[in-house]
Amino acid sequence: MNRRRSGPHSLAGAYVLDAIGGRDRRRFERHLARCIACSADVPELRETVARLAGAAAADPPPGLIERAVASVAHVRQLPPSTDPRRRWRIGPVIQQHSPSGRGSAPRLRPRAVGVLTAMFLVAAAALGAIVWHAEDQVAVAQQRGYQIAQVLNAPDAVMLSARVTAGGTATVVMSRRDHSLVFTTAGLRPLPSDRCYQLWLMGPAGDRSAGMLPAAHDGMTSPAIASDIRAGDHLGLTIEPEGGAPRPTSAPILIMTLD
Amino acid sequence: MGAGVTSARDTRLEDLLAEVAKGDQEAFEAACHAVAGTLFGVVHAVVRDRSQAEEVCQEVLLEVWRCAPRFQRGRGSAMAWVTTIAHRRAVDRVRAEQRATDRHRRAAAHEVAFDAVAECVEERLDAERVRRCLGALTRLQRESLTLAYYGGHTFREVATLLGVPEGTAKTRMRDGLIRLRGCLGAGQ
Repeated sequence: MNRRRSGPHSLAGAYVLDAIGGRDRRRFERHLARCIACSADVPELRETVARLAGAAAADPPPGLIERAVASVAHVRQLPPSTDPRRRWRIGPVIQQHSPSGRGSAPRLRPRAVGVLTAMFLVAAAALGAIVWHAEDQVAVAQQRGYQIAQVLNAPDAVMLSARVTAGGTATVVMSRRDHSLVFTTAGLRPLPSDRCYQLWLMGPAGDRSAGMLPAAHDGMTSPAIASDIRAGDHLGLTIEPEGGAPRPTSAPILIMTLD
Repeated sequence: MGAGVTSARDTRLEDLLAEVAKGDQEAFEAACHAVAGTLFGVVHAVVRDRSQAEEVCQEVLLEVWRCAPRFQRGRGSAMAWVTTIAHRRAVDRVRAEQRATDRHRRAAAHEVAFDAVAECVEERLDAERVRRCLGALTRLQRESLTLAYYGGHTFREVATLLGVPEGTAKTRMRDGLIRLRGCLGAGQ
């Protein structure tokens, strides 16, 4: 991973190990609220730290559980969090742009669909001119264009957008009805020729590749389609060796919740 | 373990927590059985004193009960949630005491942690895998991780103990965890 390690960001490891004291901890937590890289890192690192905890497992003293059970009988539980904004976030990763102004689950207005369609089609056309020149690929390109249009025009299409850790922004238009989304980016950092960006659906069923992003033109990658989205899936983006990997080999530089 | 991949053990625990969130005391008892060994092990590794470790574990289990309604599936495993609470409490206890007595607690942290491995076969296998993966880290990565996690030291203290700059200590912690994650994922 080519991530920069200077500044507060490098504290992610110390933070999940509880190896930072009061003032450093508060400083990092303020940073965490803004830092996309850290907020993708921290939950993942916590899972690894939990394995360190498991490795220290020992037989608990007799009576520990009985006393705990007896003591909770009269302890009131906290109410669940009902903050709707939390539904959209893994920590502070997601920044949601609502084209209709306020509101937590933006439904695309017709005008927004128009703008987006234009945006995607420009990108698609650029791609079409460059990549899909071979005769036998035209049908594939048409099929793909049709899929994209279908998602963009779905009555339940919503748009989400987020910054990518390593630079750039990602925009997703998703239709739950069609279990599909269209993914495009702007301003991603160019990669060396032996690396590529790979898109993933990450969920309870495991991580599934949603394909490699094509090379960017004029700073934009043409739309990628991900279908067969399942409940609980997140969308992830990683940097992988050329040709892609069967499963992610590096920490995601973008994670978006899709539910 | 990659994002979104949850073991059967985690799923069971998450199901239990969902019931605990509704005030189910039987589910709480079952959840306690599922986590007590790990909780006690990690807390004991940090605070060292058995009776203090037991006290901290009581507090942690109470906190699990109180906060279960706030646990959100899909934002990390239940075990990571519980052990985060436990380790934070253990470290807070040690540091509060340290401020009072300024006692000396040098090194040897990982030996203590691995001496006390539980009866449960599944836990034992997992501990073995973690130990093997820790062995695959560089010495500096391994010592930074174990002094911080099992020793309850801050990265500044770790830097002093290892005689390296603070920046190196915190970077090795992050590198070490990332490499550990890779190794544990590959060995599944």
